[in-house]
Amino acid sequence: MSKTSYATRAAITFVALGAVTTATHAADFDWKKFQGKTVTFLANNNPVSQALLTYKGDFEKLTGITLKVDGYQEQQMRQRLVTVMNARSDEVDVFMSLPSREGEQFAAAGWYADLSAFSKNEASKDYDLAGLSQALLKAATFGSKLTSMPMNIEGPILYYRTDIFKKCGVEQPATIKDVEAAAQKIKACDSTITPFVSRGLKPAVAYTFSNMLHNIGGSYMANGKSNLCSAKGKEALDTYSRLLRDYGPPGVVNYSFQQISALYRTGRAAMSFESSNELRTVMEGGERLKDTALVPFPAGDAGQVPTAIGWGMAVSAYSKQPDAAWYFVQWATSPEIQKRMAVQGIAPPRPAVANDPEYRKWIDEEPVRKQWQAALDVLATKGSSEVGYPIVANPESRDFIGQAVQDLILKQKTIDQACADADKGLDALIAQK
Amino acid sequence: MASVANAARPDRQRAELAALSAPAVLFTLAMIAFPVVYTVWLGFHAFSSTERQSFVGLGNYSKLVADGEFWHGLWVTLALYALSLVLQLVLGIWLALLLFHAKRVPGFVRSLFISPFMMPPVVAGLMWLVILDPSIGAANYLLQAVGLPPSEWLASPIWVIPTVALIDTWQWAPYVALIVLGGLQSLPPSVYEAAQIDGASAYTTFRRITLPLLLPTIVTATILRSVDLLRFFDIIYITTQGGPGNASNTLNIYGFRVGFEFFNIGYASALMLTLTAVVFGAVLAFNRLRGAVAW
Amino acid sequence: MNNTPLSESWINRLNFVQLVLAGILVMSPTAWMVLSSFKPSFEVTAYPPTLFFSPTLENYSQLIRTTPFFSYTINSLIVTLGSAGLGLLFGIPAAFAVSWTRISWPAVLTLAARMAPGTLFLLPWYMMFRQVGMIGSYTALILSHAVITLPIVIWVLLPSFDNVPRSIFEAAQVDGCSITRILWRIALPLVGSGIAVAAILSFVFSWNYFLFALVLSNGDSKTLIAAAFNFVGEGSTQWGALMAAATLIALPPLILASIVQRWLVSGLTLGAVKG
Repeated sequence: MSKTSYATRAAITFVALGAVTTATHAADFDWKKFQGKTVTFLANNNPVSQALLTYKGDFEKLTGITLKVDGYQEQQMRQRLVTVMNARSDEVDVFMSLPSREGEQFAAAGWYADLSAFSKNEASKDYDLAGLSQALLKAATFGSKLTSMPMNIEGPILYYRTDIFKKCGVEQPATIKDVEAAAQKIKACDSTITPFVSRGLKPAVAYTFSNMLHNIGGSYMANGKSNLCSAKGKEALDTYSRLLRDYGPPGVVNYSFQQISALYRTGRAAMSFESSNELRTVMEGGERLKDTALVPFPAGDAGQVPTAIGWGMAVSAYSKQPDAAWYFVQWATSPEIQKRMAVQGIAPPRPAVANDPEYRKWIDEEPVRKQWQAALDVLATKGSSEVGYPIVANPESRDFIGQAVQDLILKQKTIDQACADADKGLDALIAQK
Repeated sequence: MASVANAARPDRQRAELAALSAPAVLFTLAMIAFPVVYTVWLGFHAFSSTERQSFVGLGNYSKLVADGEFWHGLWVTLALYALSLVLQLVLGIWLALLLFHAKRVPGFVRSLFISPFMMPPVVAGLMWLVILDPSIGAANYLLQAVGLPPSEWLASPIWVIPTVALIDTWQWAPYVALIVLGGLQSLPPSVYEAAQIDGASAYTTFRRITLPLLLPTIVTATILRSVDLLRFFDIIYITTQGGPGNASNTLNIYGFRVGFEFFNIGYASALMLTLTAVVFGAVLAFNRLRGAVAW
Repeated sequence: MNNTPLSESWINRLNFVQLVLAGILVMSPTAWMVLSSFKPSFEVTAYPPTLFFSPTLENYSQLIRTTPFFSYTINSLIVTLGSAGLGLLFGIPAAFAVSWTRISWPAVLTLAARMAPGTLFLLPWYMMFRQVGMIGSYTALILSHAVITLPIVIWVLLPSFDNVPRSIFEAAQVDGCSITRILWRIALPLVGSGIAVAAILSFVFSWNYFLFALVLSNGDSKTLIAAAFNFVGEGSTQWGALMAAATLIALPPLILASIVQRWLVSGLTLGAVKG
């Protein structure tokens, strides 16, 4: 026998062996392990879960698990979740959670099942744990517990009208000061348009304000105490409230995403600083499709530190079947499903998916989508998940931030007063450990 | 008049009457006993996401008394209550009188007149949120069309309470009208005939005859509205979430946020029970009034 | 012989004008809602507000296509009719007894459930019904909603029963009627308008109540009103669908009210009783 044929035969055997081994490993992951079981999913009825649930049938076919879905609007869902969890009920197996807001709170209450072991040892080969945004995974980790798997990435971005900018001779703002200068110019140039709109509703302010604070280089806490009265903190409070007070719409103190998107979409605002999720709403009717540009919020002294958060899928600590629940979670956050959700407009928390050719095709269809994705890329790489104070009482801390901003918008307090009052309350909150 | 037969009556009567109200009483007790006891128990404990569950006796209540937000919430609740109640009673009675005298209006149109309170609160809230938006709402559009200055409506710390009262009145004055209408229907016509014979004017008839006879019904409407108004929640929750600042932060909204958003269940229980006590006080007061006017 | 025809017609005219004015104030927001349900979503919040537009049935078709609207409606009907029925069943005798004896604590007790914020009941009731495995059942919802309808029935009927002259009851007692018989045979027909109002109010309150459904129902028994919230959320505020849902949700109470109007207006009350 010639040397080559020996080698060839050896090679072929080797390859064959390898193929068989891989096939066995792939077959190692038994999707049908929990066939016949029922998993209950409490969903926040937003576009993320709506996109996910269009493939519900695929999941049930793949695993033989029956999926029971209960969908509610965000605040209602949270109310229901809190009631179920306070009663330590096993009614809910999987639920959607927002780590940036309630992660620490729920983790302290012991409501999350720890997913670190599951995600490392009981995931199919295709799951690609490492492909998920590390920043988002870190934001979902409290103590050493991985509390949820990221479903999407989102954050506030600046939408602005290219046609109005052109008309008033304004360039794309590169810094926060540019934003204010642009607002001033637009106000002088066209008095029927609201130059700038963003959130003023008390519980909602922290979402957009945090971005500005971080861009300016401020921080919520320093040395274990509330830091709003620092120079940077005051600058952020001042700038944000001034933009809304002088260049925002009347009644901005009640504004959250609904009114902001409605105002921008009807063409009554030149700049809108609001969630990336609102793209679909803003584009409804097509009027804003061609005259809108999107960028992450312009840089401050500390550059661009955009806020990047994401919804996560969590398993209830009281669930009687966490492993079956995990199957749903891993399927829902797998590359394949997130790719399909991406084409429906849900920004994926996986950089690899963002580069997938099918998704790119969808993105390239409209210039505004390209900019949207570009902005989200920045969020994915440079983003911070800190919205409000990094303490257990995060939701309550947002109220203090909102109160300070509202005091300034309504001119009810001076900056020093507003930040001092906020700090006082926040210090008390931080001390409640 | 039978005498022997009546002698045995009183005991049997008492038993019958008790049996008539027993289902309602027992049902209510069965449903609310545990929740009330549980909430009272919770109110005596520190129970939040940052505190370990522990018995604190009156700790939550002393915190409540020292809490500026609580007193402000109480003020907001009472101001909103007084304003809304007066508006709803006056306009409701007016509407009821109109409908009562408009005998030829078809039934469907009548039901349209009382339809606002049939609208789910969440829808009403969102609808008014849009109508009252200072920039893109129809309300300011109409104001400006007739030459009046636009208002900030729900976004003004001063005007938010009157605006909310207005929204609630739009929705619930027809409810008062319905109740009063029912009362008007049951008034004996003989009284009116006598008044007509005496040559009384419409106004005098109303003031001297109708109104006093309607008082029991009006007090009922007052009691029913009071229990809802003092626990004002839905419209504020949908529109301002207690804002701007704290301007529309009623006790119910405050308690809800403390419990469901800030997770301080112990303190929230104390707040809710205090609110219940306030409502209970109002009901007792009006019930006494009802006794005075009915009997 | 008493009111001159002139002042009578003036009063009528004044009434009519006031009625029209009241009608405009009362019905225009509702009209806005109904009109908006026929507009495409983005036009609902358009500015200036559009009065003339090309109507579309898209919102309704989307509603029926994408949500199990029909099953939600059935759920709501079962819960509402059940709780209103239960409220009437328990409330009518109780109101009668309270009116007869002038002892009002039973009425105040039933009102107690309405004095506490609804959220007070959420956690304890969830725990209670979870224990007996009744989460998601119609029974849990009917019982919790009956706590709302019962006091309404009692308090609306109290003045109605109070208005019936005692002499009628005394006469019946002399004839040997038991109290229960007096209630069902004599008193009840005389408070027709009160029952009509109580029925309408019970229905409406139960129909529109979402708080308990939020916690005590699951996907199978979710009521219409709990589902209506779903149209509002970040990135997904569908005004058109919300207005369409709202219009449909408002229909059953409205239809009921128009039907029950008859008893409200007919006044088959005290006409038969003289002196």
